[in-house]
Amino acid sequence: MENKNSAFKKGLNLFLKYNTEFIIVILLIASAFVSDSFFTERNIFNLLRQVSGIGIISMGMLLVILTGGIDLSVGSQLALGSVLSAYFLSTVGYSLPLALFLTLLIGILFGSVSGYLVSKREMAPFVSTLALMTITRGVAFIISEGSPIIIENQNLLGFGKNYLFSIPLPVILMLFLFAIMIFVLRFTVFGRMVKAIGSNEIAVRLSGINKTIYKFSVYAISGGFAATAGIIATSRTGVGSPLVGTGLELDAIAAVVIGGASLKGGKGTAIKTLLGVLILGVIGNIMNLKNVPAYPQQVIKGLIIIFAVLFQGIQNKMQDEGD
Amino acid sequence: MFAEYRVEMNNINKSFGGVKALDDVDLKVKPGEILALVGENGAGKSTLMKILSGAYRKEEGTIKLDGVEVQINNPQIGRKLGISIIYQEFALVPDLKVAENIFLGDIYQKNGIIEWNTLYEEAGKLIENLGFNINPKRELKNLSLAYQQVVEICKALSEEAKVLILDEPTAVLAPNEVKLLFRTLRTLKDRGVSIIYISHRLEEIFKIADRAEVLKDGKLSGVVNVNETSRNEVINLMIGRELDNMFPKRENKIGKNFLTVNNLSNDVVEDVSFSVKEGEVFGLAGLVGSGRSEIARSIFGADKMDSGEIILNNKNINNKSPKYSLKNGIGMVPEDRKEQGVILSMDVKTNITMTMIKNISNIGVINRKQEKKHTHNLVEKLKIKTKDIHTDVKNLSGGNQQKVSLAKWFGKNCDVIILDEPTRGVDVGAKVEIYKLINELARQNIGVIMISSEMTEIIAMCDRAAVMHRGNMMGILNKDELTEENIMRLAIGEDENNGE
Repeated sequence: MENKNSAFKKGLNLFLKYNTEFIIVILLIASAFVSDSFFTERNIFNLLRQVSGIGIISMGMLLVILTGGIDLSVGSQLALGSVLSAYFLSTVGYSLPLALFLTLLIGILFGSVSGYLVSKREMAPFVSTLALMTITRGVAFIISEGSPIIIENQNLLGFGKNYLFSIPLPVILMLFLFAIMIFVLRFTVFGRMVKAIGSNEIAVRLSGINKTIYKFSVYAISGGFAATAGIIATSRTGVGSPLVGTGLELDAIAAVVIGGASLKGGKGTAIKTLLGVLILGVIGNIMNLKNVPAYPQQVIKGLIIIFAVLFQGIQNKMQDEGD
Repeated sequence: MFAEYRVEMNNINKSFGGVKALDDVDLKVKPGEILALVGENGAGKSTLMKILSGAYRKEEGTIKLDGVEVQINNPQIGRKLGISIIYQEFALVPDLKVAENIFLGDIYQKNGIIEWNTLYEEAGKLIENLGFNINPKRELKNLSLAYQQVVEICKALSEEAKVLILDEPTAVLAPNEVKLLFRTLRTLKDRGVSIIYISHRLEEIFKIADRAEVLKDGKLSGVVNVNETSRNEVINLMIGRELDNMFPKRENKIGKNFLTVNNLSNDVVEDVSFSVKEGEVFGLAGLVGSGRSEIARSIFGADKMDSGEIILNNKNINNKSPKYSLKNGIGMVPEDRKEQGVILSMDVKTNITMTMIKNISNIGVINRKQEKKHTHNLVEKLKIKTKDIHTDVKNLSGGNQQKVSLAKWFGKNCDVIILDEPTRGVDVGAKVEIYKLINELARQNIGVIMISSEMTEIIAMCDRAAVMHRGNMMGILNKDELTEENIMRLAIGEDENNGE
């Protein structure tokens, strides 16, 4: 009796521990049954290309959330990145490298403003990035004068459409950045300190570590990633639009949370965040394939978030009792 | 129905994930009796009390209350049956008034409107009956910790507690406040309340308890009548070996002055000056809140100082933040290990190497081999008991958590190490080991500044000690002047009576 019980408990524990993995596997199997066109090379790469922007943004979000913060400005930052890249290319007429460089730089700069407010002025991340969210969106509208800027640079347009080893280029960029993040979080001082700050900021400071620089950096990096996603958006659609990325910050937060990160900070991995991104992407993709309207999609997305976090809560509780 | 015992717990068993936390443990308390529950960290005291109060469920065994078997499946049932537990962290709301706090669970009200007059009156009565004079209209946060504890006890009494469990109630109290607590407990005892008193401090048990129950490794090690036993017998039951000397001998050579603090002032302390010699253990004594920790934090750079200078090795240093302190060779083990000393949710190696992360990394990438080596060295040196270096610190006992907090600075070759309450909430065995480590630091010519609320510790461990009173340094006592009377006289301010 007891053996059976403990076997059940073990199974449950395993499920809870790997709940993100379980959800994605179940989703993939379900999708294969629901739609024949799901597991085709074309569809899978389409899916991955669609999530490449949000995937890159989620990594910045993960860093911020690991420190115990939040970045609400990433959706607007994507729009600014999109507008700026088109503006520098088409309106001003800079070369592609210069345009991209300036776009990234300004993205990092806007992120740094949040970083400064949070780390130096000790403003609540929710508030400072909320302010940056409206400011950034506003700036994107001002620069574009409210209408999309069309680009004709074939190199940038090509980036959105072309393949390397039959993998779309934006997907390669996303996976490359993810690989870097995995390395950073596992093997570097930066990754360790980011997690440590989210776990116990006071203890980190009293260990003689300059926590300000780390807290500042994560917002700057998040800004840079969002600008990158903005450039990808421009390359895919051919326009720099101040309207893109509305509400995207919430998707990024959702992906990080589904991936098991704690909003209190200190807990979360890059791989699981990638899985969180994929879960959201697969749901959207399969429902599009089945022609499910957008509104039920939102409901299902929300339910997935609730379940993922519920499972994590149960797991944490079981762990605590075990101690 | 007559029953000799108020509480009778028999053959209690409980395990966590295969580890036996309690193995056939019994516990009995009579009405109007104070039972001390002692044992090292991890002996099962808290688990046993959580079962009695309903926070945990027992796996086997029976609990009888006044001779009747009861099932206490959750804390609500426990409270209804008259069992109240007071944890170290009070379950009070700082922004509410004293009276509101006392009746928090069951406030006097009519149709949702609070009846303030009745509330104040009833709260006043409860406080008065314990022999205190606290205005029930005051906000809780304006009270000292000792008075907050009185409020917590009143809260338990308002729920008509017949059994009161106190988990290390004196850990946060200064000596004169402890007297206040003991007075309260005696009043309750006379009223027939059964009290179970968990404490690490043996001297307290001999002052206040009638009997002592000792647990060791989840088993009942013995029950003794306090007036028929000795300190050594209790320690023997606790750790299973004789402890000939709590305070090991030190062989340090005290050198010349090398850390001088001149006219230090900050938010709390005023014009504090002293110096520490090489290889010296310098104590900072005084009541909680007298400014001891604030001196330490200013030297370390954790808090700003308004004026004053700190001179180390003839060099004027100004630690703007702990980062500079680390560079200048001053380390600090903070008083609150769980909040400030360690990161509970991270593993032993991450915690220990936090201060030396630069030494074990190249261009920002951590060298795992070196990290392992450093950690293993320190784990061995400080005898930290952990499954391996990848175990989260939260899974370690209190004493070992404290050793992790110490290890962070042990491996740093500091000139000065400040220890703020290094043995608070740590069991006897670990205490002795920490004392040995302090001696080891002194032997290496490191200047040690030790803050402690335990006078015996200050007297036995320190070469000299300064005594603080309300932000002022009242005097520095040499080894031969270090007596409880002298420290107390200075700690309460010389003008007042000596508190007895």
